[in-house]
Amino acid sequence: MLDSLLLGIDVLLNPTALLAILAGVVGGVVIGSLPGLTSTMGVALLIPLTFSMPTEAGLAMLGGVYLASTYSGSISAIILNIPGTPAAVATLLDGYPMSQRGESTRALALATFGSSIGGIFSVVALFFIAPPLAEFSLRFGSPEYFLLAVFGITVIASLSAGSMEKGLMAGAFGLLLSTIGAHPITGELRYTLGSPTLYDGIPMVVSLIGLYSIPEVISMISGKSGTVIENETVRKRSAFSYLPEVLSQRLNIIRSSIIGVIVGIIPGVGCSVGGFISYDAAKKASKTPEEFGKGSAEGVIASETANNAVTGGTLIPLLTLGIPGNPVTAVLLGGLMIHGLRPGAELFTINADITYGFIMSLFVANILFVPVGLIFARYCAKVIMVPRQILAPCIMALAVIGSYSIRGSLEDVLIMLFIGMIGFILQIFAVPRAPLVLGLVLGTLAEGELARSLALVHGDVPAFLYQLVSRPICIVLLLLCAYALFQGIKQHRQNSKLLDS
Amino acid sequence: MFRTIKSTAMVLGLSLTSLIATPAIAGEFPTKPVAMIVAYSPGGGTDTAARVIANYIKPHLGQRLIIQNKPGAGGQIGFTALSNAKNDGYKIGFINIPSIFLVKMLRDNVPFEMSDFEMIGNIQLDPVLLTVPVDSPFKTFKDFVAAAKSNSGNITIGGDGPQSNNQLQLVVAEDILGIDVNFVPFNGSGPAITATMGKQIDASVPSASSATGHIKDGRLRALAVFSDKRYPYLPDVPTIAEASGMTIPGIGASMRGIAVPKGVSAEKRATLEAAFRNVVNDSKFVAHIERLGLPLAYMSADEFSAYLKDAESGIAKYIDLLK
Repeated sequence: MLDSLLLGIDVLLNPTALLAILAGVVGGVVIGSLPGLTSTMGVALLIPLTFSMPTEAGLAMLGGVYLASTYSGSISAIILNIPGTPAAVATLLDGYPMSQRGESTRALALATFGSSIGGIFSVVALFFIAPPLAEFSLRFGSPEYFLLAVFGITVIASLSAGSMEKGLMAGAFGLLLSTIGAHPITGELRYTLGSPTLYDGIPMVVSLIGLYSIPEVISMISGKSGTVIENETVRKRSAFSYLPEVLSQRLNIIRSSIIGVIVGIIPGVGCSVGGFISYDAAKKASKTPEEFGKGSAEGVIASETANNAVTGGTLIPLLTLGIPGNPVTAVLLGGLMIHGLRPGAELFTINADITYGFIMSLFVANILFVPVGLIFARYCAKVIMVPRQILAPCIMALAVIGSYSIRGSLEDVLIMLFIGMIGFILQIFAVPRAPLVLGLVLGTLAEGELARSLALVHGDVPAFLYQLVSRPICIVLLLLCAYALFQGIKQHRQNSKLLDS
Repeated sequence: MFRTIKSTAMVLGLSLTSLIATPAIAGEFPTKPVAMIVAYSPGGGTDTAARVIANYIKPHLGQRLIIQNKPGAGGQIGFTALSNAKNDGYKIGFINIPSIFLVKMLRDNVPFEMSDFEMIGNIQLDPVLLTVPVDSPFKTFKDFVAAAKSNSGNITIGGDGPQSNNQLQLVVAEDILGIDVNFVPFNGSGPAITATMGKQIDASVPSASSATGHIKDGRLRALAVFSDKRYPYLPDVPTIAEASGMTIPGIGASMRGIAVPKGVSAEKRATLEAAFRNVVNDSKFVAHIERLGLPLAYMSADEFSAYLKDAESGIAKYIDLLK
């Protein structure tokens, strides 16, 4: 173990590698904070640039982009109420209200330190216990995925601050939207209106842009959201003075990191789900759950710590077994292969120097995005003082460019505007939007895995139900679902009683 | 890093000069960068292959090759864009066989015809494998066929799908071998391989390039490769003819080739054909593509067109089994 550590550090002593990490982190922070540019695109577009670089430096740069962009989606979520990446949707729930109170520096600092700690935790897990954890990812079959998606959907209760009914409606609507496109097993096309753009379903990032930026632009134009003047005491404090506040939430950090790593190891789930589940867990464990959704520090830390802990988690099955856990790592796998590195046992033996160098560079990147992110965010935070009549058209332009650039398709812009109108209507009726995002993210997973589970047992429903109660991971997930529902109902009853009295 | 800056500066410089200093001399082609439509997302297998080609083709083409991703609807959006592109030779496309046939034959209202394209050359051919977990009771392809016969319909086989080249290959094999298995589609070859390693399914039919690493690592065993020739990166795996003693056409093999919209002049097509033939013979390109584990299988424009004609009638015969 010490040898590997030394091997890794050796790579870092090379200034080229350090510069590459810095370049990756700076690029990643910018990419992540712009809605429409995702981690996946960032890594994909930089891979050709690594062709001419030494392998260590090239990989270090790609790793830096991945980690930094996962974190920096929170910057625009906190400042503008528009998540830069899907992973930042849970951060937005508390980050934006906090920023509205005039505490944007605090929100950004909490998100940055939380992300960094979660990321470091996951890299440590990757370094020390990758092989046994990787085996865990193979135990996930279709029934397990289906139940995991169902468990994820129960999180809706926590995301619908205020009104459970409205949250459930938004969640159901998200699930409905997720059925657009080809059926995952039969390939049958549903609700596509004959347009090939919809064959793959509603594109996630495009709908996220519409759902959050359009209502924001409308409320800016209508003068409903004014400029925020930062709280005097908050402005005078440096971002680093919030580090103790993050560190004091020991339990929250550890819980969120573990959730993030576990979600990361399970292939095909991803950063946003990690953030949502951890947010839900933090709310349930919190002494002040009523603060969630109104600018709770715990909420911001839980979501950000977990979504960055997912990054290291996804690399565990990637590096040990060659199984990519999410779209970014699938692209990263291509990047590894281009440099002649084949994930699997070989990566830790023949190419151990490069592999441990890569892991060490991830460690450095997780630390490096703290100063880079904070400096970048300090200037971004000034955006909230820009007059609304200037900011609104800028956001609108970014939304259109962002949704166009993903596939170079004008139809995506129309989808964005359509979802934007839905977002606006939801906002009028004070329906929370996060459950809709969750429904959209998990609907495809739940539907596809349910259909696949049934296909695996030849459509025999009793056999499928028997699997749900006989497979060990399924039993655990079923218990978690039952607990979540029980908690939700209990909480709902309490709230109703409060209203009655 | 310094090299990156240098290459970035070079790229910027070159693109500037190409804007300013390219007087259009009649008969000379190309005088500006050529754009290649890729019908899949950045970072995927097809995109990666395209970008590696783009990286090495400049000296052979005389101009840069720019990748334009037009992903969506299983390639349909990109293929349609290529069929509608201007036929001045500056817009070419990377096309995937048999995906382009499957899209055309399985869907209604697909706005392109195969006759809208003219072929420039094929670059690679990635056959389908039959793989099982390494401790599976199926030691050989014959074991598998025997089990599929005695336990008809109950062996589960995963693969990319639905309506993919992998599924096509499996239904062709089922038809010729007279067996019936339970095909379960997964979201790509990767997830199907993961499910095989985790023993969630009995076997899978992944593309050879995506399974090679796992086979070499000893987590998967390949029982046969659906191809006339052995797969270069897995020389020990028997071909389907060797393993089964029967002839099963490898029409599920995924091929990636270059095409242009019809009407590009013969001279321009010849220039493009020569550029791609030269890059496939470029030792630096070959070394890079081998590190990626991608199987090269060059075919000239004529060979490629002839192959496609055969493949089209072969696929048409089996297409109803996919519906």
